[in-house]
Amino acid sequence: MGARIGAWVMVLALGATPLMAHHSAVAEYDLEKPVKVSGTVTKVEWSNPHIWFYVDVKNPDGTVTNWGFSGGAPGVLQRRGISRTAMKPGDVVKVEGFRAKDGSSNGSGNTVTFEDGRRVFTAMEGFQPR
Amino acid sequence: MNKRFAVSMLTLATLVAARAIPEAQRGPSATPSAIPRMADGKPDFSGMWDNPKPASGPMRGPATVFDRSKFPPFKPGGEPFYEPRTGDPRHDEPRAFCMPSGFPSAFLGPYPVQMIQNAKYLVMTTEFMRVTRIIPLDGRPHQTDIEPTYYGDSVGKWDGDTLVIDTTHFKRWSLDDNYYGNPKEYRMHSDAFHTIERLRRTDAETIKYDFTVDDPKIFTASWTENWEFKLHPEWEKTGLYEMVCNENNRCPGGKCEKP
Repeated sequence: MGARIGAWVMVLALGATPLMAHHSAVAEYDLEKPVKVSGTVTKVEWSNPHIWFYVDVKNPDGTVTNWGFSGGAPGVLQRRGISRTAMKPGDVVKVEGFRAKDGSSNGSGNTVTFEDGRRVFTAMEGFQPR
Repeated sequence: MNKRFAVSMLTLATLVAARAIPEAQRGPSATPSAIPRMADGKPDFSGMWDNPKPASGPMRGPATVFDRSKFPPFKPGGEPFYEPRTGDPRHDEPRAFCMPSGFPSAFLGPYPVQMIQNAKYLVMTTEFMRVTRIIPLDGRPHQTDIEPTYYGDSVGKWDGDTLVIDTTHFKRWSLDDNYYGNPKEYRMHSDAFHTIERLRRTDAETIKYDFTVDDPKIFTASWTENWEFKLHPEWEKTGLYEMVCNENNRCPGGKCEKP
């Protein structure tokens, strides 16, 4: 019961407000190229100015690409009760964001959805280019 | 028991009397006991504050943005306010390379601002890049013959219970908060940029923060944003988190390094 309440608190805390970059997103990400992938987390870098997490994504041809996604600033996340253990290697996630301008397998991890439905807003949820 | 109660009340009355401030020094809505004060009677702004926000007005997510409706007309023949993006990320968004955000931009994002005050200085540090302003409170004039900087030369003086901070000597740099995401342009202040901040602690949890932008090379008049700082004592426990931009800035300008 306590764990269930804890999970709900987590959802509310994560979804409370958008977390944004230390600069304009258009500097690094191509807003014309949305990314939506699913896979297994391989590594989490709890570092500034944004956390990064890496996800092994299986391609249609059977190969695997390790994607990198940026998230919020560690301090901003920690103040909301989100610690470095919120996402762990082995977690299966769906990530939605925008691809890096260089076309590499990197992107902004705007929204992360865990297998149990928890949604983690990491970077630019609600970002509207203008 | 009665004696102990009487002693307690006497102690309380003494403390209240010691903090009493002449009427002339009070703000209209503040009472002496409602706001913390320094030993010299000046308001004490020390504390952990959320980034300044309008009581009502435009925001972009948790970040404060300038109210476009307040912008005065441009000066004919003046310096341009809008800077076209060129495609060169070092020009278009230097902050992506961990260059300074500038002022007041660095203080408008969703990061706490810690203020620490003594009789001589007010120190304002934002968690964002740990940008720190050290503002003398003795009413001294601006320095002369100094190089312009990203955060300018700030001097403070008291106007009753209001602290007035005047800042000049800026480099030409981005005016905006971090979150002005127009892909075609961004907004710059000139090297004549001049800001006037008026801070008044209106109650134990609030600093009224009027921020005047004066840029005579660009605008025909100044304008004032009416923001507020709100106290968050619960952030004292952890303090400001470290934020070292170059630690892992993996994709500066959109070119990503290998992990």
